[in-house]
Amino acid sequence: MSGLTPPNAEVDLAAAMRAALAAYSQGPGSGQGTTSDLSMDEELNLHAIGWEPVEFVTGLSVYSTPPMTWTWGQGEIAAASYAHEQAFQIAMARLHRQAASVGAHGVVGVEVERSIHASHTEISLMGTAVRPVGAAAVDADNVFTSDLSARDFTLLMVAGWEPLGLAAGASFVFAPRRSMGAVMSQQTQNVELTNYTEAMYSARETAMERMQSAALAMKGTGVVEVKVFEGPMYFASHAVGFTAWGTVVRLREDEHRHVSPTMVVSLDDVDIAFDADTLG
Amino acid sequence: MANEPTDLPEAAERRMTSGAFTSGLSVADFAACLEMGLEPVGFAQGFCAMQWSPLGSSMSNAMSPYRSTTGGGYSEMFNCPHGFVSNDHRQWGQNYEQTWYEAAWRTGFDTALQRMVEEATEAGAHGVVGVVDSQQVMGDGYLLEFHLSGTAVKVPGAPALTQAPFTTYLAGQRLAKVVEAGYAPVGVIATLSSVRMWPYCITEYQLHGTGLSMFGSGVSASEVDQVVRAQSYSRQIARDAAKRALHGDSLHGARVTTSERELGQGEIDYHTVIRGNRIRRFQDFKALPVPQPTVRLS
Amino acid sequence: MAKEQGDLPEATGHRLEELEKGLFTSDLSVNEFLLVKEAGFHPVGFVMGSSIYHIGIQTRKWGQSQELTKLTEAMYNARELAMTRMEEEAAQLGADGVVGVRLDVNYYEWGSDAAEFIAVGTAVKAEDGVSRLNTLGKPFTSDLSGQDFWTLSQTGYAPQGLVMGTCVYHIAHRGLAATLGSAGQNVELPNFTQALYEARELAMTRMQDEANRLGATGIVGVRLEEKSHQWGSHTIEFLALGTAVDKTGAPVSLARPTTIISLDN
Repeated sequence: MSGLTPPNAEVDLAAAMRAALAAYSQGPGSGQGTTSDLSMDEELNLHAIGWEPVEFVTGLSVYSTPPMTWTWGQGEIAAASYAHEQAFQIAMARLHRQAASVGAHGVVGVEVERSIHASHTEISLMGTAVRPVGAAAVDADNVFTSDLSARDFTLLMVAGWEPLGLAAGASFVFAPRRSMGAVMSQQTQNVELTNYTEAMYSARETAMERMQSAALAMKGTGVVEVKVFEGPMYFASHAVGFTAWGTVVRLREDEHRHVSPTMVVSLDDVDIAFDADTLG
Repeated sequence: MANEPTDLPEAAERRMTSGAFTSGLSVADFAACLEMGLEPVGFAQGFCAMQWSPLGSSMSNAMSPYRSTTGGGYSEMFNCPHGFVSNDHRQWGQNYEQTWYEAAWRTGFDTALQRMVEEATEAGAHGVVGVVDSQQVMGDGYLLEFHLSGTAVKVPGAPALTQAPFTTYLAGQRLAKVVEAGYAPVGVIATLSSVRMWPYCITEYQLHGTGLSMFGSGVSASEVDQVVRAQSYSRQIARDAAKRALHGDSLHGARVTTSERELGQGEIDYHTVIRGNRIRRFQDFKALPVPQPTVRLS
Repeated sequence: MAKEQGDLPEATGHRLEELEKGLFTSDLSVNEFLLVKEAGFHPVGFVMGSSIYHIGIQTRKWGQSQELTKLTEAMYNARELAMTRMEEEAAQLGADGVVGVRLDVNYYEWGSDAAEFIAVGTAVKAEDGVSRLNTLGKPFTSDLSGQDFWTLSQTGYAPQGLVMGTCVYHIAHRGLAATLGSAGQNVELPNFTQALYEARELAMTRMQDEANRLGATGIVGVRLEEKSHQWGSHTIEFLALGTAVDKTGAPVSLARPTTIISLDN
């Protein structure tokens, strides 16, 4: 991070510390403070583009799935996909309301905690609400969310883009069953299992498409930092879930502004591990 | 202040007033302290073991966990919409804030903090940096142990304080950045909220698929309302408590930890802990120019 | 090795259509996104290819170190299927190439001897409209990160394709007497050494062959992975991966890097 906030040689730190101590002795002022989980670097980055943290906000939802949901069947597990979608949307809506109520325009650094259990799906969102310094409050509908860090938010804005929200898509399916006959004849062959491939493909594509639809609904131009999760459920190994989410962005200026980075070589990389898997 | 009676062990008093200092700082943090003009004077710590007991009737009364008095905190009833079903059917449920637990936690933390600050004061310090705090739950959950420690520091040339030294979780470069940006460290903030959820029939069905028998098919997929409210209130209570403790200052570098503990009869305790640094603006900083991106060649 | 048919399942249709209409998706981080733009490319879509493949049983002689050619074929074909499908998605989007390619293998409990091979990446298109397809007329693929992709673009070289070579090798079990004889001594195990040497060489050579077919000048970012997958410790797959590159004739714009000393950890 030191490349982003060079130490200011003009500041007399010792003098600043003495002034800080004096302020401590004087007692609190009459202002209204902020709460944030950002590091000072991140706060400074925000200030560099004229934004400030307001308050730490959260949103959560716990959505139930009926008892027979995970019993081995065929195709998509609609109840599970629906529960995931609802939990995500409701948690986001609550996060937006909280952010709007403290006068913020958006939430950055959102930590998404998602757990899927046999009886319910739980989604918890936590982040720091931010706004342009001195700006008036906006409606909850206009609040943006992003799981990008405050630093990435700053970089995006500098390049002319803005985040709109988090788009998520999920699809849960049953693994197809193989008949015994098929199992026996496939023992020695190297062969693609086409019905499996089709089923998994279709589930993954459905999840991605739902994410894309959500992005389009926000009038976004793109989705960055897409994370894809796939795997069987811990409580039902014959059921596989696919989820994808990312931050929806839109170009807010006329065109992308190039950042022109400088190449640097750090002279104090202490951590040099010899990795037997790499050559040269 | 060194002449006032303290409840510190005698050994602590001797240690804090002797010459050489011990410090919990790393080399980098020590260097940063010197850069800020902070002189480490010693390692300060405080400890407190709290026993707490539940308010009102016995906790293990499975048939009637109802709390009529909950110490004035959040409390909400959930009533079963069905008529009589069976003796096992949970006709009501309750979410309530366990204010007695929160109070015990608060007292334990504050006492340990106070003792750490006393040690620092004995050494003539202006503040304690790099504070580390830990809590342990022991004895079937009825004993809470708190331990806080940090490095007591002096600001040479500054007048003696008329109040307790400041405290902060920050140390080293992170503290330097905060001060450089125009913020003064004031104190460490830690607050815990505890909400117990005692499920009613609908919640029990939603979480375990049991308890509704012939009514089961009538419950469609929906939010597990009671759980959502218990968790949401737990977070809100912690946030509000943290804000109150600020008295108008700001909370920086907040860390929020949520946890849940399932107990015997389906009850769940939802805890939220918020920790952070209370800081106060003492000067406006010059807005930095937009940072220059770099690509590191490794 | 013959490439098997790689028709995309129907479900893919809708998603790619939306991407063609202008929405882009990418798993690039913000840093990588900005650097890909710097290199003169725009992300078009997150592309994927996968194949669930049954890997046949191959009998092997315990006492002999040898390549298990059937397994090698299976591992190669399965990955090729996944890669080909990913390339097809990229081609459908009109992309010039795919960056940040990741190859993964998933094992699911319900499919013993069956594994899912996945290839994912972000398809990109050159903003100047000049085609960057490789010598085979296909979108280039590369497992270079956004940062490495940008750095490479400064050198006057361009990626041609992700190249791989694989070899599944069985390491002979030493006779029990021989094992007891050398217990407690510092001694090289010639069996192992020879076997590992040969296996790695095979994997690397095959990777180079692929690069030659692409008409590439060289390979960068080479990685050698060794995995036993589900076969027990005496059977190892050696997978050599790298990005084949070629000179583009574009001017080299490498500035001298600035040296900095990072003061915070």
